[in-house]
Amino acid sequence: MGNLVQIGSVVVSGALLLLVIDLVRRRKLTEEYSFIWLLCAAALLVLSLWRDILHVTARWLGVYYPPAVLLLVLIFFVFVASLYFSVVISGQRRQIEHLVEELALLDQRMREAEREKIDRFPIG
Amino acid sequence: MKVLALIPARNEADSLPAVIRSLRADQPEIDVLVVDDESCDATRELLPGLGVGWLRLCEHVGIGSAIRAGLRYALREGYDIVVRVDGDGQHPASEIDRMIAPLLIRGADAVVGSRFSGSAGYQTPPGIRRMGQRAVAAWVSAATGVRVTDATSGFWAFGPHAIRLLATHHPTGYPEPELLLLLAHSGLCVAEVPIHMNKRMAGRTSLTAGRLGLACATTALALLVAPFRRPAREASGG
Repeated sequence: MGNLVQIGSVVVSGALLLLVIDLVRRRKLTEEYSFIWLLCAAALLVLSLWRDILHVTARWLGVYYPPAVLLLVLIFFVFVASLYFSVVISGQRRQIEHLVEELALLDQRMREAEREKIDRFPIG
Repeated sequence: MKVLALIPARNEADSLPAVIRSLRADQPEIDVLVVDDESCDATRELLPGLGVGWLRLCEHVGIGSAIRAGLRYALREGYDIVVRVDGDGQHPASEIDRMIAPLLIRGADAVVGSRFSGSAGYQTPPGIRRMGQRAVAAWVSAATGVRVTDATSGFWAFGPHAIRLLATHHPTGYPEPELLLLLAHSGLCVAEVPIHMNKRMAGRTSLTAGRLGLACATTALALLVAPFRRPAREASGG
């Protein structure tokens, strides 16, 4: 792997790591959802810092151009992250449905209580 | 015996008053609850003047949610039986007695009204839609061991066990075929009765070609995975 490619990938994965940490610091990203990105950035950083791991992995997988392994790792993490967030969204959809249902029931109860109040104290 | 007619409604302003009038005329002892799934027509303004109970969902979350909210209301208010009636006038109030009968006599937990079994009049014109309905009915029959001829019917009656179960677990999306599987899978007894259905009074089916395709795909997937799910449990309280 050429030096330029290595420097580039170290910088990019380091920046990704810092970005994720900063997002957590500014409370734009909750800790719970940051782990998968931290893991992804850390894995990319390790692979770009130590060429040997990359080369061994590439040879083991039968990949001729070692930096392609970096892409493979990236695609894997993006896929897992997307799937994970689809699960999160599905859960939130269920929660929203439940909230909307409960709100409708509560609203009905309020109307009932108001009407009872008016029936009991017609003047006030 | 307290019976509630539950009408999940979305954009049914043209037919809803007539449906409620006919319920009142045919079944005066039954209470009515309309659940408005965030309609964009006049349904919303209509609700307070209908003289029946109503709930309004503040976001459009689908018919499954509307039914769950209605069932939780029924649970809270102590109803023994809930009959789900569509707001478009397809389900005649005069058939409600026949829908409830298997709950009382045969000990069924849920009853679905079929347009296709027996000699009752309604038939979908032959075509791809009818074929789809037949295929779903055949699959549901095979998976549940109950002979079902109309797996997409929206005319239902629920007994106490079904009310408790479905108040939290009623499926969403295009829920009817999945509902049959869920009930059978959870050990509840489902019966099918032939009923006569009207043509819808107003409005059109919400199923356009694209939505029909999506409905088929989601139903197929739901039916494939449903048998491998853990059985659902009934809610404990009101």
